[in-house]
Amino acid sequence: MTAVVRAGHLAPYFKASAPVVSNGLKIVAAVPTPVDKLVVKPLENTSTVQSLHGALPVQGLKPKCSTRAPFQVRFAHTDVAVPDFTAYRRKDNQNPRVKAEESVNERNSFTYLIAGAGSMAGAYAAKSIVTQFVSSMSAAADVLALAKIEVNLAEIPEGKSVTFKWRGKPLFIRHRTPEEIATERAVPLESLRDPQSDDQRTQDPKWLVIIGVCTHLGCVPVANSGDFGGYYCPCHGSHYDASGRIRKGPAPLNLEVPPHAYDGSLLIVG
Amino acid sequence: MSVWATLNRTVFKRTSTFALAVASGTFFFERTFEVASQSIFERINKGKLWNDIKHKYE
Repeated sequence: MTAVVRAGHLAPYFKASAPVVSNGLKIVAAVPTPVDKLVVKPLENTSTVQSLHGALPVQGLKPKCSTRAPFQVRFAHTDVAVPDFTAYRRKDNQNPRVKAEESVNERNSFTYLIAGAGSMAGAYAAKSIVTQFVSSMSAAADVLALAKIEVNLAEIPEGKSVTFKWRGKPLFIRHRTPEEIATERAVPLESLRDPQSDDQRTQDPKWLVIIGVCTHLGCVPVANSGDFGGYYCPCHGSHYDASGRIRKGPAPLNLEVPPHAYDGSLLIVG
Repeated sequence: MSVWATLNRTVFKRTSTFALAVASGTFFFERTFEVASQSIFERINKGKLWNDIKHKYE
């Protein structure tokens, strides 16, 4: 006699014929079954959802009883080994008898140490990259080397204008006579196109330091000429006075005064 | 053992102290790293640098 019975409401009635009945909720009683007598029954030919549902062990219990063959119930899955994660676990966590919180400081500190070292290296790399890009915008070393010049003022006689090269531009240094100083100081500011007093343009009234580039179109003015006894631009006829201020002609602004300082008889421009 | 515990409790657990530790650590790391790489460079290029031939010209 072979009977396929669904567990559930009929299960108690089949207890007599089934020596072991387990239903998932109760403990499975182990029945030693000789391995060579195990019979793996293939799935029935399933063509509909209903027949598939009946064939798969998805609900209830389906004991198969036979008077001749031992029956088996394979719900407990004791043959499936629990995966071994030892290789993936920290050394402190390997022993199941040791509490995890006892080693939490070591494990956390190690993780944070690695993260901290990584961020440190990242911060250093970011800082170097930014520094490199920013410093690439600053002046090159050869430009910086030419950025300042020293002029010995003792070599320039009174009333003379001398030209130097400073940062690729002509630099006029004029040793002014007392008459010139007096003249420039007497000029009323209202008559000027770009009003600047002589004191604003010179640190020491004896010395005029200006960049010799005409503010009109960039020609180099000629010293000691023009209507105002200062500079005259031959290109379009701009007249500058002995303080480098525009007095006549197309130029809109006074000649530029570079930053300069005096160190005894030395003039340092730049 | 307790060093890790102190480190974890005082520095790593709070984000502010962790960030501070990273920032101050970067300062020392930068100095060490640059001195070390500079000395390696100078050892590899020994004899070719200005400091090695300076005495001939000064």
